[in-house]
Amino acid sequence: MMKLSPGDKVLQVFIYLLLLLLGFITLYPFWNSLVISFNTGSDTALGGITFWPRSPTFDNYMVVFRDDRISQAFLISILRTVVGTVLSVLFTAVLAYGLSRQELMGRKFYMVFCVITMYFSGGLIPTFLLMREFGMMDTFWVLVIPGLISVYNMIIFRTFFLGLPAGLAESARIDGCNHIGVLVRIILPISGPVVATLSLFTAVGHWNDWFSASIYINNPDLIPIQTLLKQILNSNIVTDQLLQAIGSSAAAQDRLALMQSVTSKSLIMATTMVATLPIIMVYPFLQKYFVKGVLIGSLKE
Amino acid sequence: MEIERRALNQAKGSSVTWWFRWFRQWDIQLMVLPALLFIFIFSYLPMYGVLMAFQDYQLFGGFFNSPWVGFKHFEAFFNSPDFWTVMRNTIVISLLKLCIGFPAPILLALLLNEVRNMMFKRVIQTVSYLPHFLSWVIVGGFVGSMLSTDNGSVNMLLMNLHLTSEPISFLSVPEYFWGILVGTGIWKEMGFAAIVYLAAIAGIDPHLYEAASIDGAGRFKQIQLITLPCIRPVIIIFMILAVGNILNAGFEDILILATNPILRDVSDVIDTYVYRMGILNNRYSYAAAAGLFKAVVSVGLLAIANRAARKMGSSLW
Amino acid sequence: MKRMKKMPLLSVVLCTVLLMSGCGGGNNAAVQSTAEPGKEPAPAGTAAVATPAEGTTVKPVSFSYYSNYDWDTTEPWGDDSTTRWIIDTLKVNITPVQSSGAAETKFSTMIASGSLPDVIMMDRGANVERLRQAGLLVSFDEYLDKYPNLKKNAGEATLNMLRSDDGKLYQFPNWYTSSPNGNGGWLVNRKIYKELNSPKLETFDDLYAYLKLVKEKYPDVVPLEVGAKGRGIDTMYGGFAENKPYLSKANPVGNALESIFKDPVFIENMLFASKLFREKLISQDVFTQTSDQITEKLNTGRVAVFVDGDVANPGRGANSALRAADPEAGYDIIWPIHKAGLNAEKITPNNYNSLGWNVLVITKQAEDPEAIFSYLDWATGDDGQRILNFGRQGLYWDETDADGVPIQNERGLTTPQSEKDKEKIGRFNWVGNTTFIDKTKAKMDAQLPEDKQNWTTLAQTKVAWKTSRNFTEFVNLDPLPDSEEGTIATTVNDIYLEVYAKALYAKSDEEVQQLLKKADEDAERAGYAKLLKFQTERWQNNLSKME
Repeated sequence: MMKLSPGDKVLQVFIYLLLLLLGFITLYPFWNSLVISFNTGSDTALGGITFWPRSPTFDNYMVVFRDDRISQAFLISILRTVVGTVLSVLFTAVLAYGLSRQELMGRKFYMVFCVITMYFSGGLIPTFLLMREFGMMDTFWVLVIPGLISVYNMIIFRTFFLGLPAGLAESARIDGCNHIGVLVRIILPISGPVVATLSLFTAVGHWNDWFSASIYINNPDLIPIQTLLKQILNSNIVTDQLLQAIGSSAAAQDRLALMQSVTSKSLIMATTMVATLPIIMVYPFLQKYFVKGVLIGSLKE
Repeated sequence: MEIERRALNQAKGSSVTWWFRWFRQWDIQLMVLPALLFIFIFSYLPMYGVLMAFQDYQLFGGFFNSPWVGFKHFEAFFNSPDFWTVMRNTIVISLLKLCIGFPAPILLALLLNEVRNMMFKRVIQTVSYLPHFLSWVIVGGFVGSMLSTDNGSVNMLLMNLHLTSEPISFLSVPEYFWGILVGTGIWKEMGFAAIVYLAAIAGIDPHLYEAASIDGAGRFKQIQLITLPCIRPVIIIFMILAVGNILNAGFEDILILATNPILRDVSDVIDTYVYRMGILNNRYSYAAAAGLFKAVVSVGLLAIANRAARKMGSSLW
Repeated sequence: MKRMKKMPLLSVVLCTVLLMSGCGGGNNAAVQSTAEPGKEPAPAGTAAVATPAEGTTVKPVSFSYYSNYDWDTTEPWGDDSTTRWIIDTLKVNITPVQSSGAAETKFSTMIASGSLPDVIMMDRGANVERLRQAGLLVSFDEYLDKYPNLKKNAGEATLNMLRSDDGKLYQFPNWYTSSPNGNGGWLVNRKIYKELNSPKLETFDDLYAYLKLVKEKYPDVVPLEVGAKGRGIDTMYGGFAENKPYLSKANPVGNALESIFKDPVFIENMLFASKLFREKLISQDVFTQTSDQITEKLNTGRVAVFVDGDVANPGRGANSALRAADPEAGYDIIWPIHKAGLNAEKITPNNYNSLGWNVLVITKQAEDPEAIFSYLDWATGDDGQRILNFGRQGLYWDETDADGVPIQNERGLTTPQSEKDKEKIGRFNWVGNTTFIDKTKAKMDAQLPEDKQNWTTLAQTKVAWKTSRNFTEFVNLDPLPDSEEGTIATTVNDIYLEVYAKALYAKSDEEVQQLLKKADEDAERAGYAKLLKFQTERWQNNLSKME
């Protein structure tokens, strides 16, 4: 352990306090959402719920979990997240490694070719028609394949690869490794932090994506959890739009009455928790890859 | 540089050597080309859609039956009375996000890196990225109730401290809007964005710190001399990308926080404006024209930023 | 790796072909593909036997159904006992296609790829008209006499209003009505009102005095809550003239529509609202608060007076929340506040139209549109309405009285609401007949014990429905959104929203007037006159159809 100077100690105290404050203001809204999700809807509507539920209940979660499609939807989400993340990180890393090689001919053109796609897009309808022609509508793969290569992630990968000592790859090449071998045996093992980061980004993206399923998938058995939760929420709460649309239609209030038995805010929070807690849990497990001290130095020699 | 060199080679009539060189590196080319083909199929093939900007796109007629109208939608966009207000807001909000929002996660990563207690570090790290997972609707609800004139905690605090005698309707005062918007954005995304910098810091060789420590450098000095220079390439790349994103000042955050029409003079940015004028009205071509304009400007900005960054030793291409 | 090597050339060829055919998909002639949403082939047995079930005219059919709203989810068909009964008895099966929160996008991709569902629930107007113009809709005219319920219930005049320019009927109305309805109006906080000695509260002068008093005596209470986005101010408008509910962004004078910014009633209303806002008698968060915050204020009794386009529904929740803590507390609906000198009997803050909320259309994708119509027509008839709104016979009711009103059985009276929710009753009524349901519900309420009386129904029958004016002549005034008038309408709407907010924040009456004058000029420059001319024509056209 390195010794701390008095100045460093003051700095340490300051940092701890600052981070504590930050931790509080980032945790509080989430904690509050969690608390509200465990509070009866009608009581939540009175306001004033802060750190602890005032009228504890599981009702909001019951509404979510009484839908028997939910386990299937979780399965789909987990499957697409795992498969999509593994494949995407792998393929993106391969591309990024190739593009990080100084000797690659056409490197500059390739980079521009990739970067252009971050800004120019044909829009949804041409993309939709393409997917349809590939026969990907209503298949699991439509959730995975379009995201296989992420240019954004490639750029991050490449930046990290470029930062590695050049001699690393070269010595392996001399030992008779081909480029795939170099990537898999040398580069990826010491790229733990960036692989962990991009896996996390990709996994979060996959997990949170409700949109592509709502456009490309009609088969209820292939709906991921986020899309299903949107449907459950919609079928259980009264939104402003609905009130505006049918507010003047007297008999339609029957429909409203049905929907109001669970008031919206608590249910929104419950679905948010069901939707986010599984993916949030991923980060703490990945954190071990952020531990300081990947010993590049020792490899370098 | 490389293209020039290649052009020079070809001019010399040495295309044979060019191919020879190409085939000698077939294994790297093979790592790159399939992915590029993939990008071609999934990104370039649908790109004919951008031409919609020069049409009066009819949903029911489809792309091939819609009439061509040239620059009509671009003219409508540039000539709209609000164009300059919208551009100004877009750029100002973006610059604010760039100047304040961009360094925030770097700062957070540096602070976290100074924490010795691993448990504390992990907890704060995880907690700080939680807001990323709350939708803007929920975040908007929180901000709204915090800043409410009716029992909002911020106003209660100000009143108790006698800093104000009347509750302030924060979300209805144009002067406060940019601050609230940028602040909320930082709060929501800082922890998530910091992850990539944490990864960069984790990749730094610990021997460097030891050496510096032996030389008597304090923590502050070490950050200055080791941490920052080591993560500089990552910072530069993100900076380039951020400059290319200047026209994307925000959308959902603004829609949710700027509910009072009185804020329109300061809150309307390209995306919200196009949403109102184009997308809500099914004017697909109008929205496409605005999108194309944004893309062209973005790529231009990106190229400039990239050129500037190359002088600092890192570049995208 | 080897396999990948072969891919490039093959793929490029493949993709070029696909690109061409992909674009062809934009054409409506596109063949149905595998991507057709949720279309299940009808079971062979039922498809062959196309004879209606005994006692009905419903032809067996399977079709896909899509509701074009972000916030609408269609419940699975056949999971509850009522739709199960429909499958078993009527042999009608429905496959929902969900919007999952992306309705507009989903709708446009379905059109672009030529894979529309068989039946769509959507708003009247632009999109229906475009589907029709593209020849994608089935007209109902030839079915109307064979299946008589729609024609009988909605009436020829309403159907005429729904007819398109080619004289044919493509839209099946939902929640159409022949009697006044509405949920808007004024609520007062019973306890505060009583504690302030129940002063007279009829005119705007009374109101002003009362709000002042509230502000003085109850500093923590919002004197006047005007709902989300200040919608209640539109409701207030109806109190400044007789028989004049607020008409969105236009003012009918004689036979023409004129600028709203010049409308003396609108100006007077804005002046009054601005004065209240300036003196902090209206919630200062009016444009930024969420509906949750409003509900919270109402439910904790922190609102003295509430005016909104819908007070009947939020009022019930707030009333019972307050009464739970204090039997003396609650909210009461009052007769609409009005300008002194006007006839209170003729104040109409609410409007209704006979066409109802929205419509169902049948697309040409449907294999047997007549069978679908036969089902919808059954559903909108008395039998269908009873079953779809109150559950299948034998669930919560066994028999009806002489008027056809279901008599609730033991289960109906004792089953708690949360249990009833699972039956999804009412969720499948897509062709509601408001008049029938309202009458039936009122009578069913009478079967209930006194303490279960429905606050909303009372508020509606006592006040809201009596202060509602028929606005059917003003439906469908909106231009197609991507037409020139549509662009003008968007701009005018923007100007309107902005001046509306600015007028509230104005420091003086003069400033309000200046702002409105300026808005009028801006709107004029944007082509408001052209829009109003267009709308006037539509209005006059409506009037001629209604005769």
